[in-house]
Amino acid sequence: MILEARDVRQLYGDFCALDGVSLAVEPGQVVSIIGPNGAGKSTLINVLTGLLRPTQGAVRFKGRDIRGIGPVRLAQLGLARSFQLVQIFPDLTVRETLQAAVVSRLGRGRRFLASLATDREVARDAERVAELFGLAGHLASRARTLPQGDKKLLDVASAFALRPEAILLDEPTSGVSTRDKTAVMEMLVRASRGVGIETILLVEHDMDIVFAYSDRIVALQQGRVLADTTPEGLRRNEALVAAVVGRLPGTGAFREPAP
Amino acid sequence: MTRAAAGPLAAVLVVAVAFPHVAPAYHVTLMLPFMAYGIALLGLNLLFGYTGLVSFGHALFLGIGAYTGAFLTTHSKIRSLEVILVVAMLAAAIVAAPVGALCVRYVKIYFGMLTLAFGMLFYTFVLKFYHLTGGDEGMPFVRPTLLGLPLASLSKTAYLIGPFYYYSLALLVLAAVVMWRIVHSPFGLCLRTVRDNPLKAESLGVSVPRYRWYAFLTSAVYAAAGGVLLATPTGNVDPTLAYWTHSGNLVFMTLLGGFASFFGPILGAFVFIYLQDTVMSVFPYWRLVFGVILAALVIFAPTGLAGLIARPAGSSRR
Amino acid sequence: MRVAHVVNVLMGGVFHAAILFLVAAGLQVVFGVQKIFNLACGSFYALGAYVGVWAVQLFVQGGGPPAFFIVPLVLGGLLAGLIGIVVERGLLRFIYDRDETFQLLLTFAVVLMLEDLIRMTWGTAPTSTAGLYLIYGQVRLLGAAIPTYNLIVIGASLGIAIGIGWLLTRTAFGRVIRAAAENREMAEALGVDMRFVYVRVFTLGCTLGTLGGALVIPSTAAMSEMGVELIVEAFAVVVIGGLGSMRGALAGALVVGLLRAVAIALYPALEMLLIYLIVIAVLVLRPRGLFGKAATA
Repeated sequence: MILEARDVRQLYGDFCALDGVSLAVEPGQVVSIIGPNGAGKSTLINVLTGLLRPTQGAVRFKGRDIRGIGPVRLAQLGLARSFQLVQIFPDLTVRETLQAAVVSRLGRGRRFLASLATDREVARDAERVAELFGLAGHLASRARTLPQGDKKLLDVASAFALRPEAILLDEPTSGVSTRDKTAVMEMLVRASRGVGIETILLVEHDMDIVFAYSDRIVALQQGRVLADTTPEGLRRNEALVAAVVGRLPGTGAFREPAP
Repeated sequence: MTRAAAGPLAAVLVVAVAFPHVAPAYHVTLMLPFMAYGIALLGLNLLFGYTGLVSFGHALFLGIGAYTGAFLTTHSKIRSLEVILVVAMLAAAIVAAPVGALCVRYVKIYFGMLTLAFGMLFYTFVLKFYHLTGGDEGMPFVRPTLLGLPLASLSKTAYLIGPFYYYSLALLVLAAVVMWRIVHSPFGLCLRTVRDNPLKAESLGVSVPRYRWYAFLTSAVYAAAGGVLLATPTGNVDPTLAYWTHSGNLVFMTLLGGFASFFGPILGAFVFIYLQDTVMSVFPYWRLVFGVILAALVIFAPTGLAGLIARPAGSSRR
Repeated sequence: MRVAHVVNVLMGGVFHAAILFLVAAGLQVVFGVQKIFNLACGSFYALGAYVGVWAVQLFVQGGGPPAFFIVPLVLGGLLAGLIGIVVERGLLRFIYDRDETFQLLLTFAVVLMLEDLIRMTWGTAPTSTAGLYLIYGQVRLLGAAIPTYNLIVIGASLGIAIGIGWLLTRTAFGRVIRAAAENREMAEALGVDMRFVYVRVFTLGCTLGTLGGALVIPSTAAMSEMGVELIVEAFAVVVIGGLGSMRGALAGALVVGLLRAVAIALYPALEMLLIYLIVIAVLVLRPRGLFGKAATA
């Protein structure tokens, strides 16, 4: 188990955002977390990425307690994330963005008199990641000048450049047209292999993607885990499908119930 | 360093070196506070332009540098400017460590207010404890020796426009070279990530408060060196060095030259000093003029002179 | 310690607090609605002081009865507040969409400009209304002699505090102010013309400052450094009280006013030192002050 949450409860005053959520992620798996808005996905993500210390329960990464340790420590431990709302460094170039991640990974952030430009290891690694994401042609462009889709890719690419053991992708295909979603996912899968990421936590709304790429699906509803099973297992359970997905496969694209 | 920039830079250096031999003494002495501010601003801009934090209390460290020098030369036999500089920079680092640790946990307006408070705290302390510090009359800063050279026979002016000028220039160049390395290092890159998007920076493993603190420390050390050089020509230090409006002027100079460029702040210091001198000679109300200039800068040209030079078509938003 | 002495010290503190409240209230209302920390509030205070003195001098020289000096004083203070319109329309309105830092710097530019404008108009020598305020006599309180003028000012300040409270909670404009302070976009979407609101709010804030400066003048003298010195105290008041809160302005003013008075009486060197330490402590331990909203970190 590389990442596990056990009986996590998160209370905001009287409001219970997470009510005894447990999940376990094995290394090498792609686990999707689905659920309507308000189901507690964001809260769970913040708990899993060390931003929020849960009111109750345990959260472990590689066996270590990571409750509320913050994104910095977590990134150093080997768990990275990308963001639902694209997060980039507006005034840095694509190259610099990726180099920043590599510098952080290699622990060279405190080298204040060394020259960044002549650090070939950093440069090469950044370029490699850029190639995996199709950004090699944009290395010199400032991040704020990129088209929205490329900004999203850069957000994910820089997280990948940390070469984490596990990564949480928060709606990586949101904002991408349906036609391109599969292409993006293929790129992400290939890139993760190229960079050595074994475990992916995927938060997604697009059911086609979820069913096509997940080893396991965890469905959240109102702060509780409604289902934690394989795509097949989910498909077979009609009641579950109706509750979570809304329609059966084969009758058109999956749609989630309205929030 | 781009080819395009290297040429003009070399030319500027040549002029700077030749200056005392061709220009009247008055203008040469005017260069001295410019160089002192130049060093201080290189540090301030690491905090402002490269890390995104605006300090309204940076004169605190100028004051620490100046008062360290005054203390050493008045109360002890130490006259060596090298020793004074080292002690001043150490003192600044020692003060900046806890102050910075406190301040960098806050951003924008709260950071500005906290730094302002610390600056005024130092000002008030120095003002009130006049037994130690001479209160509002200040303390003398006896002429320091440079590299142990026998210069005592020189008149004050000859000392200032001669050996002290070149000493300051060398220090400015050294400070600039070191800052250039810092800014173009992996560390500098991390600072810029902190500036551009703290949330994303943290997700990449860059501790935002830690790096802001490093920037704060470095800028404090630079400011102290500048403070020492600032006080030497006047031969006296007084509390107004640490007053909040002095900090405001430091930010003004940085903005004037352009915080988005490496040499901008130095340019800003130069223009500020010379403009102030020019204006004061015809019109005693230089603050009015400068207030108008600052307002115009903020509204029309926030990237400063360097920004205008680099991009003449309109001002760009930061 | 004699009771009379204590009363004297405390009443001095309350008087100072009354003035501080006015300036701080001006700061708060501008920060609350426009999110701008107006470094020039001290300069407006200074302006009010000078214009107040000038108005009183005109009045007295013109043959006005000295007992009514408070009328031109207040009118002068209010008149000076109109400069807020000039500053807001002429400068501030161009930078509402900019980073806070630049807004702060623009108010610093106003500080510079006003400092010299005051010097240009009135010179650098201090000017005052001399002992005019003594014309109202004194009140005996527990053995201490308190100038009646001071009590008038304290009363006026309290009245203004109540007036502001009434304005904010009972009038349409007050509601608009509070809405704009909570959520500017929403207020705009609901049809509020923000330009209209901003110029009035800023002028209100400015006038509170100039009024404070005018009212303090009889008991001190107008000096050119008044402006830059006061801002630090005003800033201490709003930090302790909480940025953006009127109640905070009142509470903070009392804390700072009384503390200063006590410090001056007991250990003068500590005076502002103590205030700054408290400001720093507040910013660290409870950044939102006594009554402010959530802190930013």
